[in-house]
Amino acid sequence: MWELEANSLRESCENFLYREAQLLDDRDLLEWHETLITDDVEYRVPVRTTKERSAETEFSEESFHMIEDWGSLKVRVERMENDFAWSEDPPSRNRRFVSNVRVADEDPDAGEVSIRSNLLVHRLRANDTEPDLLSAERRDTLRRVDGSWRLADRTVLLDHTVVGTPSLSIIL
Amino acid sequence: MAQNRTGDARGSRAPIESKLERMGDALEQGEALLEILHDDDVFERELERIFATNWVYVGHESEIPEEGDYRQRYIGKDPFIFVRDENGEVQVLWDSCRHRGAKVCRAEKGNTTHFRCPYHGWTYRNTGELIGVPRKGDGFPELDVEEKGLHAAPNVDSYNGLVFASLDPDAPDLETYLGPSKWYLDLYFELADMEVIGDPHRWEIDTDWKTPAENFYGDNYHVPMGHKSAIDVGIGSETAKGEKESELYAISEVGGHAFSIYQIPDEDFFWGHPPEVIETFHPDRLTDDQYRVARQSGVSLGTIFPNLSFIYLGGSDDPDKDTVGTFCLRQWQPIEPGKMEAWNWIMVPKDAPQEYKDRVYEVGVGTFSLSGNFEVDDIGIWDGIPEAADSVFAERVNATTVFSMGRGEGTVAEVDESWPGPGTVYREGGMTDENQLEFYRKWHRTMTEDR
Ligand code: FES
Ligand SMILES: [Fe+2]
Repeated sequence: MWELEANSLRESCENFLYREAQLLDDRDLLEWHETLITDDVEYRVPVRTTKERSAETEFSEESFHMIEDWGSLKVRVERMENDFAWSEDPPSRNRRFVSNVRVADEDPDAGEVSIRSNLLVHRLRANDTEPDLLSAERRDTLRRVDGSWRLADRTVLLDHTVVGTPSLSIIL
Repeated sequence: MAQNRTGDARGSRAPIESKLERMGDALEQGEALLEILHDDDVFERELERIFATNWVYVGHESEIPEEGDYRQRYIGKDPFIFVRDENGEVQVLWDSCRHRGAKVCRAEKGNTTHFRCPYHGWTYRNTGELIGVPRKGDGFPELDVEEKGLHAAPNVDSYNGLVFASLDPDAPDLETYLGPSKWYLDLYFELADMEVIGDPHRWEIDTDWKTPAENFYGDNYHVPMGHKSAIDVGIGSETAKGEKESELYAISEVGGHAFSIYQIPDEDFFWGHPPEVIETFHPDRLTDDQYRVARQSGVSLGTIFPNLSFIYLGGSDDPDKDTVGTFCLRQWQPIEPGKMEAWNWIMVPKDAPQEYKDRVYEVGVGTFSLSGNFEVDDIGIWDGIPEAADSVFAERVNATTVFSMGRGEGTVAEVDESWPGPGTVYREGGMTDENQLEFYRKWHRTMTEDR
């Protein structure tokens, strides 16, 4: 069974998401990449388009704002640490609000759990007084590796069709 | 998007005529006026003169392959429906009900035989024809439905699947508009049948649409500084990284459009495509000269006036993965003074294997997109320009931007008379601003000519 330092599976997953949000808010990206994702991670942010209610989904199966694996995430993280990464130097100030965490499915044999959560990123740059807001649902698969969770799969379902931030030089 | 101080509306200071006159003077010195990058009157006139007059890109035919497929598009800020009608013809219809103006197309994409207005139920075929007016006999017995179809763009034409429209009934035809630039476009769209993958990336940027357009006219000078972080981590093109010996050609005077093309001498590079993709090309559709340029092509970019740009990148998003040929087509849409929306479509040779297309897509996303490792730094730099352009001081010091690179004693860019294609072509093309000057000259002509 799960060996969790928490009262419930959900609470344990929440702890993971909160720790992750802290690392990302604090721009500890290398640490995030080294300690919180699996080496077979799949990460995607599909493009959304406004469609009629009768459409099955508004999310594209072929178009993405990000479509990443461990290697391409490593490139992104390393680049953001570079002294010439103008989009994040001076860095944007991001605050991630993670809520509505629920366990959608669990597979104790594989050590995996599927969770859904809501994400609101409050993003300020330079002297902005009004933030860019990014609102999304995240569907994640977490995997138990050496007694702690790692992110094995993530789909970020944005509420935006036109994204209201100038660049996605952050991890959602 | 955050409303920062540069986004505020304001009354104009000097009248637009004086600005355009000072812009004309600046151009004669190889400079441009900074103020035009954030000005209410300039913006309004651009909507009228630049976007509602020239041939503006609408979409690619591969985005609406089936009868009834449609996409919402904009010409300047005006809403249009890009639709393949029931006869298989491409239509560009103004999205406004003839009755009281409501939008009849309410989704960004879909498939339909009819557009039915939600207000009072007037119904249009996907050809634009009005075919239903509820209780017509009881209320509008005299209404001539033939006269009340959706308005269509007066001129619509396509080049190898790229559909353009002009809102000026007297516009020259598209072929004339593209002019000699067709010689270059053929390298990308004639040699291979290209298709769009999925849906475009769309995002808002606090900068004027002309800044990226100018950049994609041929600002190759910014790459070592602006994109150092991406080059340092080992991604992007082999030419930009200096791994391949190459020569950069800057091409202007091809009808007001411009191109930059890396050539890798005596190599079958084809923008980084592998042999199994090159095999699907159609060399017979090009002249020998065109084919030779295509064969030796590394990174290539360009802009069709006013706001359609592309970059063809032979590169990768990860130094541990193979180079592929990724084509990003982008449109810089005006939103308000100092603010634009970027649209980015990733394109691929239609006959390439699916697995390869998927890789091309990933590399496009990883390099030039909302999250692109190259693109994000451009935008991080550009968004400071409108604030300066809007300064009182800009007008007071007659602030200009400098495009005189490559002029004068000892400069390295030189005209290459032996180049096989049309236009004025500079070798060491990264060290001249002639391409960008072409953009601003055409812009200035269009903004000032008598109409
Ligand atoms: S506005 Fe369209 S039917 Fe009345
Ligand atoms: Fe750039």
